[in-house]
Amino acid sequence: MSESVSDAELVERFPWVQITHDSKFHFRGWLDKQLLINRCADCGNWHHPPKPVCPVCWSENLVPTEVDGTGTIHLAMALHQGAPAPGVDYAKGPHPVVAVDLDGADGVRFSSTVIGLPPEEVVIGLPVELDWVERYGHPFPVFRKREA
Amino acid sequence: MARRNPMRDEIAIVGVGSTDFSRDAGGISAAKLGAQACIAAIQDAGIDKSEIDGVVGALEPGAPRANQMSSILGLNDITHHSSPMPVAVSALVDAMTAIFSGQCDTVLVYYAFTRAPWNSRSAAQDPFRSYLGGMMSGGLKAPPMPESIDPSAAYTAWAQRYIHEYDVPRETFGRVAMNMRANAARNPKAAMKTPLTMEAYLEARMIRDPLCMLDMDIPVDGADAFILTTTEKAKKLTPNPVVVHTATAGMVGRNDEDQLPSLERHGQHVVVEALKERSDVWIDDVDVFFPYDGFSIITLGWIENMGFAKRGQAGRWMLDHWDEDLGCVMIDGRVPMNPHGGSLSEGASRGTGHLREAVMQLRGDAGERQVHDAKTALIGCGGFFFNSQGAILKRL
Ligand SMILES: [Zn+2]
Repeated sequence: MSESVSDAELVERFPWVQITHDSKFHFRGWLDKQLLINRCADCGNWHHPPKPVCPVCWSENLVPTEVDGTGTIHLAMALHQGAPAPGVDYAKGPHPVVAVDLDGADGVRFSSTVIGLPPEEVVIGLPVELDWVERYGHPFPVFRKREA
Repeated sequence: MARRNPMRDEIAIVGVGSTDFSRDAGGISAAKLGAQACIAAIQDAGIDKSEIDGVVGALEPGAPRANQMSSILGLNDITHHSSPMPVAVSALVDAMTAIFSGQCDTVLVYYAFTRAPWNSRSAAQDPFRSYLGGMMSGGLKAPPMPESIDPSAAYTAWAQRYIHEYDVPRETFGRVAMNMRANAARNPKAAMKTPLTMEAYLEARMIRDPLCMLDMDIPVDGADAFILTTTEKAKKLTPNPVVVHTATAGMVGRNDEDQLPSLERHGQHVVVEALKERSDVWIDDVDVFFPYDGFSIITLGWIENMGFAKRGQAGRWMLDHWDEDLGCVMIDGRVPMNPHGGSLSEGASRGTGHLREAVMQLRGDAGERQVHDAKTALIGCGGFFFNSQGAILKRL
């Protein structure tokens, strides 16, 4: 599906972020509900956010690689006010934002919100898994609590 | 890491000038505030404006760049000018390097800050500031998502990590805010002078849990300016000039806000290692201490990473060194911490206020805040990611 989306349309569909030639694959991935993280095909190291070369070995042979999106909350906060976004209503309660240590992508965190949980239960160390919601009409990666 | 320090004590700060810091300066532009501070600094130095041949200015939205300030002030020919980031120590280092290398002899360093529509309700109602909104969004058609971890949000996220790792109460952060407010009450320039109790701190409006509005610096209109020249020339102006003993920036390679490996090694650690390496003095020799406080968590970081307190113990340490009469930290009963009130209570200057107060203290011009016979000041500027900086100033 996302292959048929032109670069111009991709930029149109993500009005809130500056997409570059280094990150276009990752946002196309969102349209297919795939969370892609850069992995170096030469040395195997992961990095995020997307960079033009591998920070470890300087290879340009970078592969946006799908991760399953399970992980553990490393950083957490609850926004009582913040930027407006579709589906985010600060009047109804604080909006959690977390950075998650991703399983299988050593040393890489992905930041988003956590759905389906009261803000006070969104704590560091909580196991989470990937889910998707709609924002501005495009899929947006979020986390929810991972049941044991 | 460079262990050389050929500039040690070779560059002096011979003039300071600043406006009051105000939550609403009224109908005054950032350019005018900057010009007022620059003129005050040049007059304070006792030099003629024609002697200035270098200008290091602000890169803040709404503030005049170095070339614009040269034109505003009608300066003479300039052989070094720049508008570097981060403020404030890196701007100082830029000026010092230019003087030391012979690019120029006398530099005007200034920084003007202005409340922006996104961080001040009254600024949002000022039509002359509306263009700043477009500069903030960088031309994007929608604002960044709430989940975009920008530097300021990231401090809150790492504050929660600090609480998690060291099991500290919110009062630890409140203690930082109380220190700054008590000190600001003794600073006529400060924006926030009303006394602050721990009860009031704990009840203050939460912005990004765990940090409340009192953990975040106060947006203000204001400006600071400094005149730098060689120590040799400075001695002709004053017998005991304030010199820069050492100054540095510090950053780890992987400094993306949410990817920082840990609280145990980031920009502040690099700064501390560089300062120690290039200095004859350290924390036991310091008469006045300036840990930056754009967010309260940053101050806790400086206290611990400079070595005043063990990791996770800054709160305990502040209590151990708390002066009940003054309502603030007095290290060993002698050394205050941000006696001007810091960015939390004097106003958000990105550290130029800290630098200016350091110079005032070392000159003996700090009024009722004066530390007796202050000879050495230690400044930890900026936070964890891209803007950590540090300096040691001395009176010769
Ligand atoms: Zn590699």
